[in-house]
This record gives sequence, C-alpha cells and structure tokens, in this order.
Amino acid sequence: MVLLKTTMTWGDILTSSLLGILIVFVALALLVLAFNLTGSLSVRRTKRRIVKNPDIPNDATLPTDIPASEIAAIAMALHLFLEDVHDKESNILTIKRIERRYSPWNSKIYGLNNLNR
Amino acid sequence: MKLRLNKTTILLFLMLLSFPLGIMAQETAAAGGYSLTDGLKTFWETTSFGNFDWRSMIMLAAGIVLIFLGVVKHWEPLLLIPIGFGILVGNIPFKVGDGIGIYEEGSVYNILYQGVITGWYPPLIFLGIGAMTDFSSLISNPKLMLLGAAAQLGIFVTFIGAYALGFTPQEAGAIGIIGGADGPTTIFLTSKLAPHLIGATAIAAYSYMALVPLIQPPIMRLLTTKKERLIRMKPPRQVSKTEKIIFPIVGLILTCFIAPSALPLLGMLFLGNLLKESGVTDRLADTARNALMNTMVILIGLTVGASTQAVRWMEDPATGELINRGFLSLDSLKIFFLGACAFAFATAGGVLFAKVMNLFLKDGNKINPLIGSAGVSAVPAAARVSQDQGLKADRTNHLLMHAMAPNVAGVIGSAVAAGILLSMLS
Repeated sequence: MVLLKTTMTWGDILTSSLLGILIVFVALALLVLAFNLTGSLSVRRTKRRIVKNPDIPNDATLPTDIPASEIAAIAMALHLFLEDVHDKESNILTIKRIERRYSPWNSKIYGLNNLNR
Repeated sequence: MKLRLNKTTILLFLMLLSFPLGIMAQETAAAGGYSLTDGLKTFWETTSFGNFDWRSMIMLAAGIVLIFLGVVKHWEPLLLIPIGFGILVGNIPFKVGDGIGIYEEGSVYNILYQGVITGWYPPLIFLGIGAMTDFSSLISNPKLMLLGAAAQLGIFVTFIGAYALGFTPQEAGAIGIIGGADGPTTIFLTSKLAPHLIGATAIAAYSYMALVPLIQPPIMRLLTTKKERLIRMKPPRQVSKTEKIIFPIVGLILTCFIAPSALPLLGMLFLGNLLKESGVTDRLADTARNALMNTMVILIGLTVGASTQAVRWMEDPATGELINRGFLSLDSLKIFFLGACAFAFATAGGVLFAKVMNLFLKDGNKINPLIGSAGVSAVPAAARVSQDQGLKADRTNHLLMHAMAPNVAGVIGSAVAAGILLSMLS
C-alpha cells in the first residue's frame, strides 16, 4: 500500500484514489462472478429437479408473465394479512351492562349475614 | 389569638428569618469563610447563564431545526431526532471541569461516547442492517453490484477534493467516506483516522442522507435522457434459500480477503444476514434488527449530536494559548461543502456507470440508469428516489426491486472503500 503518512505528494493521493476505486470494483466484480456462478447452478439444479419431478413448483425461473400490478396486489394482501392480526377495538373502556341484571352473586338472600342465625 | 396564614404573614416570617441568616453569613465572611454572595456567585458560575456563549445558541437552533425536520417533514426521523436532541444536550453551556460534557473524562456522556471513539457502535449497527436486509434482488441480478461499486466514486473524488482544500490525508479520507452515504461507516472510519472530525462528518453524512430525495433527482434527470428513463427491466428471478445462505459466507470471504480492514463492518453485516437467512436463528436475528439496532441508533445519534459542542476551549500545544476547537469552525463548513459534492459525485458515478454498462448489454437486458443512483448506500431512501423518478417518467414502471440491488451493494462497497482507506492511511 502507498504510505501516505510520511510521503504525501499529489501523485500519491491520485494513485491511491485510483487504486482505491479499482479495488472496490475488483471486490464487487468477484462477488458478481461468484453469484453468477451460484445463480446459474441453482437454476440448472431446479430445472433438473423439475424434469425429474414435474409436480415440484419451479422457484428459480423468470416469472415473466406476472404484471407489476398483480405483484403489488399480492404484496398488499400479504401485508394486510401479516400486519392486521389484531381485532378491531372501539378503544372505549366502559362496564358493559347486560340485560339480565339479577344474579345470585349480588343477591341479598345469599348474603353472609343470612348465615348468622 | 388565631394566626391567619396569608401571604403577608408568610412574607413577614421570611423577612424575620433572613435577619439572623444574614448576620450569620456576614460573620462567616468576616472570619474569612464562605459568604452568601460567594455562594450565589459560585452557583451562577455553574449555570448555563454564567457560561453563556452565542455560538452555543446557534447550535441549539441547529438542533431544533433537525428535530423539526424529523418530526414535521419526516426526513429520516429515526436519525435526525436523536442527533438533533444530542446537539441540544451537547450545547447546553456548562462549567468546564464539572464532569458534565461529552469530552470530560468519566462523565456519563463521555462513557457513552466511547462506543463512537473506539468504533464499536457502527459494527453493531451493521449487524442489525444485515439482519434486516434482503439481498435477493442482488443475488438474482449480480451485475447490478457493479453500480454499487461505481457510486463509490464520490468517496475518492471527495478524498482528493478534501486534500486540495488543505486537510491532511487522514482527515481527507474521513471526509471522503461521507460519499459512501453510510452513517455507521463514516463514524467508523472517522473514529480511526480523524476522531476530532467525528461530529462534522457524521452530521454531514446523516443530514445529506436525509436530503437524498432533494440532492439526487436533479442530477439523475440531468444525466439521463427521457428514452433511458423509460427502460423497463426484466423482473428479478426468485432466489433459492440455499443461495441466500451462501451469500453472506461467500461475500465475507471474498470481500474481506481483499480488504481485511473492513472486517469489523462486513463481518457483522454478513453475520446479521446469515442469522436472518439461515432460518434457525430467528430469535437472534430479531434481537439484532430490533432491540440491539434501536439501542445502538439511539446511542450513536445522541452521542454524535452531543459531540458537536460549539465551544470547546483547548490549549494550543505550540503556543499554550487557549483556542476554541468547537464544532463551529471553517473546517466544519468545508466538510459540509465537501459532503454535498461527495453525494453529487456518488450519484453521478452510479448513473453514468449504468449508461456505460448499457453499451455492452443486449436489448431486453438493459439497465434503467435511474437505478444507478441507488448505488450510494442510504438504504432504502436512495432506492425510493429511483422508484419515484422511474414512476415520474412512466407511472407503470416500478424500479424499486431493481434499485434495491445497487442500494445494498452500495453498503458493501462503502464498507470495502472504508477498509481500503483505513489500510492506506492508518
């Protein structure tokens, strides 16, 4: 590497900048090559599986016939399904009155005092 | 007699009480002790009024503006609100030596700031980014990764520009990384190369990231023709789970063999992604992308904001005089100017490289150059800008999925660039 700490000239700065951007390109180009390879292997493997078992859904071929609007609609449906899991609530906290107000639990007949005989 | 406790009675009581206290204070002062006036004076000296400086007021106003932009305009609120509030915290005037300020050793904020200075907050943020990023679009069309590399042009052009403006090579490297449009990477590299610039570089990076929807579109429109903006790209193929699991492992090995200095960032990024994609560590991935990530964002935002202290008196090592090494300086202005240039060059680099790639691609495989600008990291704001611009040209042309590929490649590219600068300059 260029030692910029001790010898700092414009030449060093320019060279290291050029070198820097080239290294970034090389690093990402290697990733491109690697994943082109894994991608083609994956597609080939899936095609082979489909030939062997035609029932298996093909998940590695190009979905060229699905329009963007359909993909958007599916995405929205999934979003609503996954996110909208809670019940709709009124957010009003009150004691709900019931029709039949009488209950043995609040009956005076069954009060504790009745036991003191 | 019944004593009525009204206001007059209370006032009279306090006045009567103050006489003996005053006499006692006078006697203490006469004996060379601590008088009431001395106490008030000491108290006054500890207040912000006693340490008032107009420069702090400017920074307080800047902090309020950032909070306003976050709350009202919704510009990167998760970042701008902690940073804006951090600016308020860092610029409340206080008495130096009371162990309050972020630069005072042992203070609470100083302890929190160690995560920035020693550079361990950014890798933890990268862990969270990895755990929330879906690299499918990148894996399905790997050639788009090159756009993420091209957009790093902004880093190196700004590096040259900063050196031309009189910064040292280390400072120029720290300023150049703003062009990577990645806050944690900027903080990580600046903490290693020029820690005294952390406040300025981080604020510039985060501010311009928030301003991506304003900075990028004019450059994108300027560099593309109407015909190019209408290019429709093939939908990305579906990616298998195996490919998604292989990606972080191969990605780590390939990139870090070339730039091992980027290991703290890329190691955590790819680990986070493996936690997500492996499918067997959901709990860990969930913690990384939610609880841990949010904690780190709060800490990094607050401390970076607080590090922008307007007034920071320091002894000049050469002359021994006290000089202000605070945030408000000509250098900070230069950094903000260079940061804007960095974003502009990064955007231009991505767009132009997409056009160059189109020269070699067959019809039907062409790239819409609008996605090139997403090569600056700023995930997902930059990809959203590509989508918006694409829709403006043709309202049925959705570019978001395609733009996500260079966008996430930009994260990897800027981390690699940071590693390269670190190895060259430290």
